[in-house]
Amino acid sequence: MMINWPQVLFNSAITGSLYLIGAVGLTLTYGLSKFPNFAHAEFITLGAFIGYLVAEQLGLGWPLALLIAFLVSGTVGVLCYRGIFQPLAKRGSSIIHLMVASIALGFILRHSIGAIWTWKPVYFSAAWTSFDVGSMRISSLWLWLIVTAISLSFAIHFLLMKTRIGKAIRASASNPELALASGINVNRVILITWFIGTGLAAIAGIFRGADTQIWPMTGWDIILPIFAVAILGGIGNFYGAIAAAFIIGLAENVGVVGLIALGLSTTYRIGIAFLILIITLIVKPEGLAMLFRRF
Amino acid sequence: MDPLLYVLDLVVFIGIFSIVAISLNLEFGFTGLANFGKVAFFLIGAYTYALLSNIGVPFFFCLMAGAVIAAAFGLLISLPALRLRADYLSIAVLAFGEILRLFVKSEDWLAGGDWGLTVAPAISVAGVSHRTDAFINIALVYFCLAICFLVIHYLANAPYGRAIRAIREDEVAAEALGKNVSKYKAQVLMLGSAMTGIAGGLYVQYLHCVLPNMFMPMITFTVWIMVLLGGPGNSWGVLLGAGLVEIFDRGTNILKDYISIPIDPSNLQYILFGTLIILILLYRPQGLLKESTVRTKVQRLIYNGRHTIKNRRN
Repeated sequence: MMINWPQVLFNSAITGSLYLIGAVGLTLTYGLSKFPNFAHAEFITLGAFIGYLVAEQLGLGWPLALLIAFLVSGTVGVLCYRGIFQPLAKRGSSIIHLMVASIALGFILRHSIGAIWTWKPVYFSAAWTSFDVGSMRISSLWLWLIVTAISLSFAIHFLLMKTRIGKAIRASASNPELALASGINVNRVILITWFIGTGLAAIAGIFRGADTQIWPMTGWDIILPIFAVAILGGIGNFYGAIAAAFIIGLAENVGVVGLIALGLSTTYRIGIAFLILIITLIVKPEGLAMLFRRF
Repeated sequence: MDPLLYVLDLVVFIGIFSIVAISLNLEFGFTGLANFGKVAFFLIGAYTYALLSNIGVPFFFCLMAGAVIAAAFGLLISLPALRLRADYLSIAVLAFGEILRLFVKSEDWLAGGDWGLTVAPAISVAGVSHRTDAFINIALVYFCLAICFLVIHYLANAPYGRAIRAIREDEVAAEALGKNVSKYKAQVLMLGSAMTGIAGGLYVQYLHCVLPNMFMPMITFTVWIMVLLGGPGNSWGVLLGAGLVEIFDRGTNILKDYISIPIDPSNLQYILFGTLIILILLYRPQGLLKESTVRTKVQRLIYNGRHTIKNRRN
């Protein structure tokens, strides 16, 4: 069997870019609030639908869709944090309670979305131009996805390393008490991180929606690899997440080739991320964090 | 539909999910293990039952095989669970449930894929009415529930129960007192999974069919609501929680036929469940019934002793 390796590598870059955008918010909020937000999937879905509302139902175009989805999802994220997780954390709830609450929030959001837009999948109508480069099939959507992932990575790098708020985020994540003692408003830092994190999830949602379909499970469909990225990269570690996203992207696409060669169903694609997740948890729960500058 | 049959059906459902709920109570309520993959063990019990029953294995052995295989998987997930933090464990187990559902969905040759399998009823007497059939199922389900309940109740009040509570409260302290934390966790996960496997088998034999879509993550979540609402660490509370959640579930299903609301009732139901759980966590995290104190021989002696002293004074 001939395998089109350039295409496999290109697809890995696409998958990795999508997972990166989706996982950055999860890993940052997880690192700061110290619990995994299972409702992250629903912010991805929310973003896809807000994008659909702006771009298709209101016809305001693609760039505005990305911007408004980011803002709306971020605002909802902050409101959810203030309304649910902050009071729970103040009560001294255990991490298990916080996780259950995030699953509950996920159900509320998913089914509210289902009630507003129904469960019938919808699609972006934008026509993406496809062209061939050598043996590779490339769509302009995919190029946009890769460009977005790269520019967002640089933006977040700049934010974390060069700005006051970025330094405050890093300080609060590594030692909240010390950060508080040094005059950092840790509470505000958490809120800002939730805003950025859930906002970025929305952008991942729009790209995922444009690539496949938009329905209330859009986010849940990719939440497993996104958690795998956050854990393989080391929780709260942005640079680890970049490496992990592309490792998992590559593993999935090479894995699909393997699955086809073995005559297995390609629905097991998601099992590859699961396998990486489990192996990481058993062998090295701190993930790739050691390889990258800790913050 | 026959109203009595509807009630009987509800009673069967409450019984089956009570088994899952008390097993989660053993894992989470007593031991503090966050098992977000209950549905995986439910699925294992269900499919084991269906596959064995279809090749003619007798009812009892199908059920027991489901329990044993589910327990084996419980042991398997307990291996990482011993080392993992609560959040890692829950992510791993949640993912395990999803992968398992994908597996039965895509392997058509094994379990019929999307279309699932049909299962013959375990106890079929020719010519009995649906009502009698429901009564037979109630007897069966509640017999299993009673056994599971007694086992957990006995364990919870035995020294074993104090050890697992100690692990829940402070793992390091329990370890320092010479309790083998890993062994206890593995045993609890095995026992809890076995009970869930039995419930899965009962579920399938009652519904006469098994489909991948019966095992959505919502099952796990429903069981969590039962435990959190009823009162983690209180077996009676969890039974109460299971009853209330199932009645609420049916209630909203009936209501949707009589009142028209602008929002799709099935969506509304999930939204209400989610809101309910957040309200419980915020305002009554101990659940409806608080965890009861452990009754030990010493406590009884002290109590009786005080009583005698009081009586003597009089």
